[in-house]
Amino acid sequence: MASKRMTANPVKPARYRPGKPVAEEHSSEEDESEEEEQVAETRAAPPPKASSFPSDATRIAGNLKKVDLNERRRQAAAEEAARVEAEKAHLAAEEEGFVTEESEEQEDSDEESGSGSESGSKESSSEDEAPKKLLRPTFIRKDKRKDSITVTDTKNADENWAEEEARRKEKADLMIQEQLEKNAVTQAAGKKDWDDDDIEEVEMVDDTDDLDPETERAAWKLRELKRVKREREVIETAEKEREEIERRRNLSKEEREAEDQEFLELQKEEREGKGKMSYMQKYFHKGAFFQDDAKAEGLDRRDIMGSRIQDDVSNRELLPQYMQIRDMTKLGRKGRTKYKDLKSEDTGRWGTFESKGPRRADGTLDERFMPDREAGGRGASGANTTQVGERRRAPEDAPEGPRGDRPMKAVERRDQSPRRSYSRSRSPPRRRYRSYSRSPPPRRRARSYSYSRSPSPRRDRYLDNPPRRKRSPSPYSHGSDKRRRIDVS
Amino acid sequence: MTHAADARRHFDSRGYTGPQIHNQNPVHLLEKPIRDRIITSYYWQEQCFAINEATLCDRAAAMSFIGGTYGQQKPSPFLCLTMKLLQLMPERDIVLEYLHQTEFKYLTALAAFYIRLTFDSKDIFQTLEPMLADYRKLRRRARDGGYSLTYMDQFVDDLLTKDRVCATSLWKLPQRTILEDLGHLEARDSPLGRELDEIDDQDDDIMANGESRSPTPDGYENGVHHSESEM
Repeated sequence: MASKRMTANPVKPARYRPGKPVAEEHSSEEDESEEEEQVAETRAAPPPKASSFPSDATRIAGNLKKVDLNERRRQAAAEEAARVEAEKAHLAAEEEGFVTEESEEQEDSDEESGSGSESGSKESSSEDEAPKKLLRPTFIRKDKRKDSITVTDTKNADENWAEEEARRKEKADLMIQEQLEKNAVTQAAGKKDWDDDDIEEVEMVDDTDDLDPETERAAWKLRELKRVKREREVIETAEKEREEIERRRNLSKEEREAEDQEFLELQKEEREGKGKMSYMQKYFHKGAFFQDDAKAEGLDRRDIMGSRIQDDVSNRELLPQYMQIRDMTKLGRKGRTKYKDLKSEDTGRWGTFESKGPRRADGTLDERFMPDREAGGRGASGANTTQVGERRRAPEDAPEGPRGDRPMKAVERRDQSPRRSYSRSRSPPRRRYRSYSRSPPPRRRARSYSYSRSPSPRRDRYLDNPPRRKRSPSPYSHGSDKRRRIDVS
Repeated sequence: MTHAADARRHFDSRGYTGPQIHNQNPVHLLEKPIRDRIITSYYWQEQCFAINEATLCDRAAAMSFIGGTYGQQKPSPFLCLTMKLLQLMPERDIVLEYLHQTEFKYLTALAAFYIRLTFDSKDIFQTLEPMLADYRKLRRRARDGGYSLTYMDQFVDDLLTKDRVCATSLWKLPQRTILEDLGHLEARDSPLGRELDEIDDQDDDIMANGESRSPTPDGYENGVHHSESEM
């Protein structure tokens, strides 16, 4: 495991470095895993216990049936005969030497006639030069074949076969026995193929009945009594409720109210009797799930308000502001918020909804919220205060417009002269109107004469009252403002 | 019914034309995630394929515990066989036979569970209450895989009173008192009838000698007592 890295990245194959041996760890691991897979496969191979599948025991018996003992017998016999002959020939050769062979040869060559004898003799002669240990296949005529040697061999072979058969049978029996025992054991253990749990016998609860009838019956009686008791309690509580309802109906109204008052008093006491939270105490919700367990242990009515956890700070106010937090685990952490409590973070003022003027609680004025001009300051400000030149008018003897007959003209003419140098402030509505229309102002302002010069109340309404500040109040005073100011009154 | 290797197609309610319970596909009495776990489990696919009421008994005989899911949401054979029963919808006689046979107690438990899911309330009370006298032991497997010992009467009591048993949310059974008021049922006769009477007599004696008790109307006190005296 030295090659296992701490990161979980997939391991890349090792690079080839010339001159260094190639790491062969992977191949060995692969072999191991292959072996494991094979082993696992063989383990998974045993079939399920359903009756439709053939069992292992039957399979073994079937295999045994296939074995043909006769064939085996023949093979065994052939092997044995060869072996025995070899031994005998070996002994004979050692004792008697070549002489016997040559004499045999002569005999054979005399007797043999025709078919294979010459070749046999030739072969035998050619093989004469071969080493002594080689067996020479000597041809024996049919009438001479029934020799004592082979007869005795067959007899031995028979016995051997019998013995071997017996042995094989025993082996087969043993195997079957083992298999059956194994089956029985697995059956007893209840191990199924779909069940891959490894529960030991010890962990399995025993469910055999009638181990101790008296105890079992007694336990059952107890349970039955509990059930009956439970039912009766249900009936009783229902009955009590009904009684209570009846009783309340029978009371008079005052009595009912008196009872309600008592109940409310009780509630109030409870609420006040609860502990008060200490400064910056952490709130722990009681949770929604383990209420039954808590009740079982008698912990459902406890109140942790005001109590101090054992390893908590004893007095949080003595700590520096940075460390006065509810949950000390958040100290120093990146995600910690500096939120303390609602009241300290609130920017409003409790209880008041209307606040005229930018006054703070202690009566100081906040400069940021002061208006730029004194109260009641009207008129122009900023760019509107630049000096305005004379208004361009049509020459005096211009032809009159379409509305020239109107008596208004005289009035206008009268009004014009004293107002010549009137500043623009009077005519902003008209100016504005003019500026919106793209057409160049006509030389003859026929229409314009008919407009009243006095600012109509309608128009005044749309002026900002008080005028909106175009620019936010600058922190710097306007003393450095170099624009020409005209005192407008 | 058609047997399909993958049973998922048959569990959709659309196109279901078989018998219904509470106006839905009976298999829907088990919840969807539980159903999915069951049909993808090895036990269901190997053992519960194409079995009928008779071969189901073989499987039930091989059961060794009751329980819902355990381990990593693995369904117990008990639950798989319940689902098979819901699929098969055997007849009432067969189910009662399962319940009353004495050789295989887990098969009895299975039948009790099936009855609780499928019969109507009056029948449930009438068939399951006799089981409260049976105190054979049962092995119960919890969700963490561990075993515990329980009894048949305890199991039946859970079926009658609890909301969730064996990973299934049981449909709400009306209280026995309501059925008694309606007249469908009589008050329950506990098998401990006589002994209860004795205890009650003792209590009454104590009460008579000791403090006074608030009078309760006759009809509701000791439901057992009342019916006993009637009988």
